[in-house]
Amino acid sequence: MGSRTLRAVVALAGATALTVALGACGGDDDGGGSGGGKTLNVLIGANTQYPQEQQDWQKSVSDKFKAQTGADVKWETFASANDELTKIQTSVVSGTGPDVYAIGTTLTPTAYSTRAFVTLGDEEWQKLGGKDKFVPSSLGISGPDAENQIGVPWVGRPFVMVYNTEMLKAAGIAKPATTWDELTQHAKQLTKGDQYGLAVAYKDNFDPWKFIWGMSVQAGNPIVDGKTARIADPAVSKAYQTYFGWLTKDKVVDPAAVGWTNSQAVAAFAKGKTGYFALTSALAAKSLDAGAVKGKWAFTLLPTVPPGATTRPANGVEAASILSGDNLLVADYSKNQDLAFQFVKLITDQEAQLDIYAKLGQLPANAAAAQTLLSDPRLGPVVEAQKKSVATPFTGAWADIQLALTNAVVQSIPDLSSGSISDAQIDSRLAAAQKTAQSSLDRAK
Amino acid sequence: MTDDRTTTRTAGDAPVATAAGRDPAGREPPADRAGRRRRGVTERQRPLWLLIPGGTLMTLVIGIPLLLAFYISLIDLDQYTLRRWLEAPFIGLDNFAEAFESGLLHSVWISVSFSVIATVATVPLGVAAAVVTQNAYRGRGWVRAVFLIPYVLPSFVVASVWRTMLQPDGIVNATLTRAGVDGGLWLSGPRSYWTLILVEIWAAWPFIYLMALAGLQSVDSEVHEASAIDGADWWPKLRRVILPYVRGPVLLACLLATLNHINNFTLPYVLFGAPAPDDVNVMPMLVYVTSFQSLRFGLSAAMAVVSLVLIAIPLFVYLRAVRLDVHEEGGRK
Repeated sequence: MGSRTLRAVVALAGATALTVALGACGGDDDGGGSGGGKTLNVLIGANTQYPQEQQDWQKSVSDKFKAQTGADVKWETFASANDELTKIQTSVVSGTGPDVYAIGTTLTPTAYSTRAFVTLGDEEWQKLGGKDKFVPSSLGISGPDAENQIGVPWVGRPFVMVYNTEMLKAAGIAKPATTWDELTQHAKQLTKGDQYGLAVAYKDNFDPWKFIWGMSVQAGNPIVDGKTARIADPAVSKAYQTYFGWLTKDKVVDPAAVGWTNSQAVAAFAKGKTGYFALTSALAAKSLDAGAVKGKWAFTLLPTVPPGATTRPANGVEAASILSGDNLLVADYSKNQDLAFQFVKLITDQEAQLDIYAKLGQLPANAAAAQTLLSDPRLGPVVEAQKKSVATPFTGAWADIQLALTNAVVQSIPDLSSGSISDAQIDSRLAAAQKTAQSSLDRAK
Repeated sequence: MTDDRTTTRTAGDAPVATAAGRDPAGREPPADRAGRRRRGVTERQRPLWLLIPGGTLMTLVIGIPLLLAFYISLIDLDQYTLRRWLEAPFIGLDNFAEAFESGLLHSVWISVSFSVIATVATVPLGVAAAVVTQNAYRGRGWVRAVFLIPYVLPSFVVASVWRTMLQPDGIVNATLTRAGVDGGLWLSGPRSYWTLILVEIWAAWPFIYLMALAGLQSVDSEVHEASAIDGADWWPKLRRVILPYVRGPVLLACLLATLNHINNFTLPYVLFGAPAPDDVNVMPMLVYVTSFQSLRFGLSAAMAVVSLVLIAIPLFVYLRAVRLDVHEEGGRK
């Protein structure tokens, strides 16, 4: 029909343009180096905190890989999740690009929905040294189920809480909070004069949904139930009330926190005038040691008992953190898949995993390597948090859902700043988020 | 006719040949004439040949992607269909219908109103600055250089600095508190709309200033002398004599500035982050979030197409204005 012809013509023009453009951008993606050796293209996130160390690590891996296989590694880095997504999109459309991708855990469902990555069967896991090699919880977001996994756990960045040991001691608090109610109580005790009990990054574009999801899943609502969104739900509502309440009702957070991103909250905590900072990772250690809290801070697990309860309900999950970190994915268009699996095996083996921890502070997903870190008292809670990490729902709609959960916070900031937000206001924002999330789930394939 | 003149001028390195090519008298030997005519034809076509590299590049970089965007706006392209995008279901105008249901009109309103207000506010600032730096005085060069600072700073830097200053506990609120005023929130809620306008004005007024200055400098010294002889006071002189000279360039600047404001993505993105507060969810932000966070490429292409149509309106006015200018110039000289 007419529209068909038009479609074909436009599509052809588009395909030509894309081929030309991608050919120009992609450079030498075709593998096959000189001297009979091959080149493996690997895409990983740029480590802005330890750039030099990252380069050293890359070099040592490349050297080892060359010695082992004779092939070279060509590294490509991305600066943000958006860059990464763009790279995936162009590679998916053109069928050329990196052979191996390191992809953030929460982005893995999105990558899975493009169907452009190798599904790991028994044979592939065998090549990697078996599933048992990994910390069991780290496999939680490798695929929708055990038969359809695409992600090989590489490194973990579980979320933890950090507290000011001196301030807690001075307030007579013997050990850090393990329930959200206890945390609120401690924060109230710690708030006096120019001190605040809790630092929270309300304006961060990634933090807020992690609190909401955590409290909600602990109360037995995983937010996504099959094809149904459960945002307009009492458990979620209670989570938002608690999260906002720290500022509006309990007044245990600096009012300026309505403008803070995560790094600003770290900086505020590092000044030594805040009792707890509720959402951070082991990577913050460097910033903390550079501040006034040097030698006075410790990591601890985030509470795992939902707000308003002293014990977790029967259907509640002991989620200490979202399952956070990077997975390694092998592109199904890759002509070097064997080589790619050898590479993935190399960087997930114990030696390389301890090396990346030593150089970059990234936690090993390799079980044996993780075990050796448990002896470090400062790191113990972080390794513990990794074990108790729970995967966010594995659906292509998740990106939209976390956006909707965050948006409810973004739009509430003026109310937070004015000092009050009613439950009805929260529920109306949750109704909007529910609608977005459900429509996104309806589209999920 | 105008086209011929333009052509003649463009191919100005061989004026004799061009003139001879048109000469109806034909006093030269026939063989020579034939040779001239051939050369004349190629010379007349030379601008077209010269346009080929640019034209090809524009087709590749703008034309084809534009066609592609139109096509994508008609298909259901998202993360699930991306891999086999040629087989993505054709859904006609459904994306457009959904775009209008999902806040596009709200974003259009914010984008247009913000752009118009920013443009209207920058005109008096720019013109006043141009007038102030028109006459020579000590330190004028320095003042002119300072005026250009906001214009040469990258948008990202401008937005980052303002974002830092406008934090709830930032320098702006600290200063206001010292003066006994409660600063409140600048980067969230209804006031974020005015923050966006304020920062845009700060960054964009030098463009109007530059264009106005160019207009002022085209005023002949005789005009100044004549109005001095006629005893015109500064205000009537400015209003009746000088400003009419500036009108053309400033109107053009208004159009271009409005387009720039509508298209500005960096400023709202860096100032407010994504997702943005509803009050500053301008069209580029909406398209960005739909495309790169929700991964609805079809829907965002439909939004981009609507955005293009919107921009095409002032663009059309602009193109007409440019054509008129050429006519005037052509007629005058």
